[in-house]
Amino acid sequence: MIDCDIHHVVADQDEFLSYLDPGQREWFKTRGDLGLPGYPWSHPFGFALEDGLHEPGYAPGALERIGREALDAYGAEIGILHANDASTVSLMASPYRAAAFARAHNDWVRDRWLDDEPRLRGSILCPAQDPLAAAREIRRAAEDDRFVEVLLCAGSERPYGEPRYLPIFEAAAECGLQVAIHTSGEGMGIAAPGGGVGPHTFYIEWHTVGSATSVMSHMVSLICNGLFERFPTLKVMLLEGGVAWLPGLLWRLDTNWRGLRAEVPWIERKPSEILRDHIRFSTQPLEHTDGNDELLFEMLDAAGGPDILCFASDYPHWDWDDPKHVLTRLPKDWRDRVMHDNAAAFYGERLGLARV
Amino acid sequence: MREWHDVAPVAQLDRDGRIIARIGGREIGVLRDSTDDSLKALRNRCPHVGSPLCRGSVRRRERGSAPGRYELEPGNVLRCPHHGWEFDLSTGVCLDDPAMRVAVYEVRVVDDRIHVLA
Repeated sequence: MIDCDIHHVVADQDEFLSYLDPGQREWFKTRGDLGLPGYPWSHPFGFALEDGLHEPGYAPGALERIGREALDAYGAEIGILHANDASTVSLMASPYRAAAFARAHNDWVRDRWLDDEPRLRGSILCPAQDPLAAAREIRRAAEDDRFVEVLLCAGSERPYGEPRYLPIFEAAAECGLQVAIHTSGEGMGIAAPGGGVGPHTFYIEWHTVGSATSVMSHMVSLICNGLFERFPTLKVMLLEGGVAWLPGLLWRLDTNWRGLRAEVPWIERKPSEILRDHIRFSTQPLEHTDGNDELLFEMLDAAGGPDILCFASDYPHWDWDDPKHVLTRLPKDWRDRVMHDNAAAFYGERLGLARV
Repeated sequence: MREWHDVAPVAQLDRDGRIIARIGGREIGVLRDSTDDSLKALRNRCPHVGSPLCRGSVRRRERGSAPGRYELEPGNVLRCPHHGWEFDLSTGVCLDDPAMRVAVYEVRVVDDRIHVLA
C-alpha cells in the first residue's frame, strides 16, 4: 500500500528555526505560526485526530506516531509526506521570506524525516509566489531523490495553468518530479478567496466548497492552458478536494470544449482524455454516500476512476480515511490499482520502490 | 449470557480520564460523565467507520435556537476522535445520524472497582 498523503508538523520550533537563514531567523521566531498566514475562519475543534488528546505526549503528526499509526498499522510500503501548515508558504506576502522558509523546510524534511524513516518520501516546498525562485529551489532540493514531487497548495493568487507558473512546472519536469496540488490555504494571505464568492464564514463551508472548487479550478486551468502539451511527461495529483464531483465536471468540460475550443485550439483531444493521461486524484476524503456507494463508483468509473484514484489517508487529520475501511468500500477490481499501482506509476522511479 | 466484569479501580479512571477494557473480544470504554458524575460504558468502535470512539472527548454539545446563537445542551455527549460525530452517552445513539448507534453497557462500582455488564 502507498499512502499518498501523510501530514507532518513542526513540533520543535527551535530545531526548525536552526535551518533558517540566520539573517531571517529572528523574524520567523517572533511571528505567530512561524510567519505563515492564517484562515479567516477556524476549525470548530482542531485539525488533528483527537485519539490520545487527553493522554500525555499527545503529538499528532510526530515522526514516531506516523511510523506506528500510519505506516506500521497498515503495512504501508511508502508514505508521501506533505507539510501541514507549512504548505501555505506560497501565500506569504513576502516572496523573500517564503523562499527562505521553503529552503529551510526542505532541508529539515531531508534531515529530520527522510533520514529517520526510510518508508517516507518528501515533497518539495517552493515559494510559488515567485516562480523563478521556486524553480531554483525545486532544482536544488531535487538533488535528493527521496523528494518525489513538488507540493503546491491549492490556495493561490491565480490558477496554476497561467503562464506565470511555467518555471515551476518546467523545473519539475526537468527533474523527473511530479506535482501535487493539495487543498489548503484558500482565502489565506495573498490567495484568492475559496469558492469564488468572497470569504467563507465557517470551516464547514470551506471543507465543503472552498477546498473542492480550488482543485476544480486548477484542474481545468492546467488542461485549458495546455500544460500537458508543453510537458508531455508531467503528471499532477490533486489532493483532498473530494472526487464525487469529478464525473459531472468532466462531462461539463468536454461539452464546453466541443463548442468553445476556438479559445484553446491547442487542446486537440477531449479534456477527459488528457486528464486520464496526466491527472490523478487522492481518495481522501472519499465522500460518505449514505448508502449510495454503488452509484458513486459507477459514476467514478465513467471518469476513469480505477486508473486515476490513488489512496491517501490524510493522517493525522480529523477526517482521515482509515485504509482498512477504504478497502472495504472500493470495488474489488479497483483495489490493487487504487491502493498501490496508480501511485507507483505516478511517482515512477523516484519513488525508489526497489530500495524499500 | 451477560455477566459483570471487574475492569479497573475507580482511581485508574480518575487518573487516566477513561478506561479501555477488553471483554470477550470487544473493547469497551468506561468514561465519567461530569454532569452527574455517573460512569458510562460504550463499545470502543464507532459505527461510522470503526474508529476508537471512546478515545474521544466527553463534552457539551452545541445547539442553536436561532441562526447565530450558540447554546449548550445540558448533558454531555461523546465526540469521536475521528470525523467528530457525537453520541449520546446513555443510549449510544449517534446524534448526527440517528440511524447509527453504538452499544452501551451497564456500569456499577463495587468496593471502589468498576464493573461492566457485558
